[in-house]
Amino acid sequence: MERRNFLKLSALSGAVTALESCGSPEQQLIRFIPEEDLVPGIATWKPSVCTLCSAGCGTLVRVMEGDAEVVRNGRTGLIKMGLAKKIEGNPQHPISRGKLCARGHAALQALYHPDRLAGPLKRRGQRGEGRFQAISWDDALAELTTQFKELGSPGNAASLALIARPLRGQRRELIERFVKSFGAPAPMFYESLDDTVLRKANLLSFGQAALPTLDLARCDYLISFGTDLLGTWNSPVAQSIGYGEMRQGRPGHRGKFVQVELRMSQTGANADEWIPCRPGMEGALALGIAHVIMSDKLRSGETHSRAGSLIAGWADGLPDYAPETVAKQTGVAAETITRLAHEIAAAAASAAVIGGAPLAQTNGTFSALAVNALQALLQTGRSESPVLSFTPGLPIAGGASGAESDTSFSSLNDFAQAILNNQPRAPKVLFLYDANPVFGLPASVRFREALGKVPYTVSFGGFIDETSAYADLILPDHAPLESWIDDVAESGSPQSVVSLAPPAVHPLHNTRAMPDVLLDVAQRLGGPVAAALPWKSYDAMLRAAYVPLRQHSGGGTPESEDDFWTKITTQGGWWGTSPATRAPAPPSSHPAMKFAEPKFDGGTQEFAFYFAPFPSQSLRDGSLAHLPWLQEMPDVITTAMWSSWVELNPKTAEQLRIAQGDLVDVSSQHGSVRAPAVLSPGIAPDVVAMPIGQGHEKFGRYATGRGANPLSIVAPLAEDETGALAWAATRVKLTRVGGADEGKLIVFAGGMSRFPAEEEHR
Amino acid sequence: MRALTGSKIWLIVALTCAGLWIASRALPAGTSSETAAPRPESSGIFSPAHRSVRDAISDFMGEHSTQPAQPIAFPHKTHLARGLQCQVCHTGVDQGPDAAIPSVKFCMSCHLVIAKDRPEIKKIAAYQARGEDIPWVRVYDYSPSAHVKFNHAPHIRAGVACSNCHGDMMQQTTAVRAVNLNMGYCLACHTQRKASVDCTTCHY
Repeated sequence: MERRNFLKLSALSGAVTALESCGSPEQQLIRFIPEEDLVPGIATWKPSVCTLCSAGCGTLVRVMEGDAEVVRNGRTGLIKMGLAKKIEGNPQHPISRGKLCARGHAALQALYHPDRLAGPLKRRGQRGEGRFQAISWDDALAELTTQFKELGSPGNAASLALIARPLRGQRRELIERFVKSFGAPAPMFYESLDDTVLRKANLLSFGQAALPTLDLARCDYLISFGTDLLGTWNSPVAQSIGYGEMRQGRPGHRGKFVQVELRMSQTGANADEWIPCRPGMEGALALGIAHVIMSDKLRSGETHSRAGSLIAGWADGLPDYAPETVAKQTGVAAETITRLAHEIAAAAASAAVIGGAPLAQTNGTFSALAVNALQALLQTGRSESPVLSFTPGLPIAGGASGAESDTSFSSLNDFAQAILNNQPRAPKVLFLYDANPVFGLPASVRFREALGKVPYTVSFGGFIDETSAYADLILPDHAPLESWIDDVAESGSPQSVVSLAPPAVHPLHNTRAMPDVLLDVAQRLGGPVAAALPWKSYDAMLRAAYVPLRQHSGGGTPESEDDFWTKITTQGGWWGTSPATRAPAPPSSHPAMKFAEPKFDGGTQEFAFYFAPFPSQSLRDGSLAHLPWLQEMPDVITTAMWSSWVELNPKTAEQLRIAQGDLVDVSSQHGSVRAPAVLSPGIAPDVVAMPIGQGHEKFGRYATGRGANPLSIVAPLAEDETGALAWAATRVKLTRVGGADEGKLIVFAGGMSRFPAEEEHR
Repeated sequence: MRALTGSKIWLIVALTCAGLWIASRALPAGTSSETAAPRPESSGIFSPAHRSVRDAISDFMGEHSTQPAQPIAFPHKTHLARGLQCQVCHTGVDQGPDAAIPSVKFCMSCHLVIAKDRPEIKKIAAYQARGEDIPWVRVYDYSPSAHVKFNHAPHIRAGVACSNCHGDMMQQTTAVRAVNLNMGYCLACHTQRKASVDCTTCHY
């Protein structure tokens, strides 16, 4: 026997014994006829638009031929098709400029998610139970049309309601037209952590109901009140690029960054100076700085401004906000306030911005107006264009980003109470599109109960979540990478921008694009609805809306419509300057505001701690909790992942005998949640913080039953001026209820093997 | 090798035989009909694992079927004799790593009219009527565990004739694995043509 064969045989005999328990080969799958012709092995990069947050970043998707396991006509099989393999930022796009955040990369998993709905479903079990049966599109649309025909009868006009995530561009236009053609009330665009307060304040101060665009690359001094501008707030990719240039892009010159916040975020950890301030007092701190600038005459010329006139006492130099007074209110030393004022006034290009938790207080609008007044003061006597500006709208009809009219917490609360109280104007048919108010609203609103009382609910969501579990009919939308997407950017660029892209890949499942379903239903209904929505398909609607932009592309004779359309759909959108398309609104007669003490829910005796929920860097408001890459992404400050946690100061922990990882109970007047403790020095001793995003009851296999939802115990307090949810205005008490074994904290450096994140799926 | 003498060798041989006997029992029934049924398709998830114990053994021992049974008895020689070029059907071979296998739609673009009464063509039409593609069986393949990559395009550009690896297709009906594509075969040609023999040219 040759040595070679001998060795092979003896290796075999061992291996075979080990392999004996291996299973049978996979079932042989049939192959479906491919729908597209592709060159095998060659990758193409197709433009798309990220929809995982509202920044509207342009992306490029790497598409390559591959085999997908799909169901066609009830049979499972393989099909050769172009498959998305990787997402990157689009280098041409003015917002993302070739960069992308971690959330954007995870959009791939929204496409290939194993729990995506593969076709229309009809409710089978009880409402909220989440049991559905598959039906055909023909049956589903016939059922929907029947419901609408009944609505069309006289006296029923107001009985259609629609709740969607905040939308911009033509999706919003289409929904608004559809609802309006029924004579129904305007659709509700709802997000749990909305920016209503800041838009309102910016409208009052600067005449623009939008989030600001920060030109950080030119900034020498930035003071931020609570904005997590490198993580979750506004346009994080654009801001991160600008921040990099502000700090390291100009040799020998590094802009200074001061962060004022309650709980140290990733942004706070990057700052030169991190200043904790009592919750709800950020406005007073900003006015303290403004007081010093005015009294020390650090700005020459007229300090009066539109923004300043909204603050009581501004014209007199803010006598109530002397540093010593403000120091008592805010807990920030008077010397610090004076020093900050002198530093920021000396800087050539400076900005003050506010966002996040300070606006989620009952006095949020005042804080925002105060910071805006400081920003206007910093700009006084400066000739160069301000660091803080607003992205112009599109120079075409309906080209405003449209975020101005977003629905606040109060109107949604009123909506729920109307249903619960059986008011005659309660809706008979409710449309849901990518909004999850059952998860995002405080439990005390009883939205879940209200939803159970709506006679007929239709959801367009691609996943079953807490809200769509109550639907009678689910008509799943395509994943974003399978859809025509358009988005009119609200901020992030000095130019006006529409991000626009055709589908990057063919649909994997038997889903249909929500806009196409609405257009189809409109045609079936005929009459005024069909007249309001005359387009055959959504791409025809997009073309009709955006082709007029070619008049504004600059240069000589505009290209032909076809050439222009091809150009903007292959480069991922249109961007350009559009002079005077967003003139500031005229000043309103809003009275000058006085500082109002923030109100908190819960007595200081029983509920000793301020509760500071914060948007999770990976899961945002919880709408991304179903994506396992994001679950796996460690929080930047604590490295916690796959779980919820409660952040508290080590001194507080010592008093309450809580150790890292111990299970603690956080109770407000409205309920309690439990999560493991994480000790962090970056938080005041009287504050406990919790990330928002976990605690889903139903949201796919990776999110369901994981962690706790801090929004469920938040008091239903509204911001005084706007009615937005004051999600940072709750007081809580803290109790240790178990050790680290019950806490099951998973951090990057350990815990995964002790408390496996996926044990139930292995 | 002093230790491996006499009775010890016989003991190991006996153990090996026992192992093989277990192996033959462990073979899943589905794969024993390899000649009749096409090989199972991949699930689209890359894995260097073998699909079955039998696959593992034949790969390990370097055994390959030289002419696997195809669902359609496709005559390459008939098509080539009528003047069709390879790239008419196998598109993309000069652009990327893989040559395309045409879908049933492409076959039927001619056979809707040509020779539509032949039994094999009727089988193709039946596939199309069912909405299915033809489940062709792969002829040339590398073991995934070899971690070797082959790219057609540079070979076409260098003027390597298709027949170098695929044999004379003018003589073949369904494709035959004409040469054993082991590393020796690749290197012989690379050395002769002074192409790169760096490991990472192919193993990456």
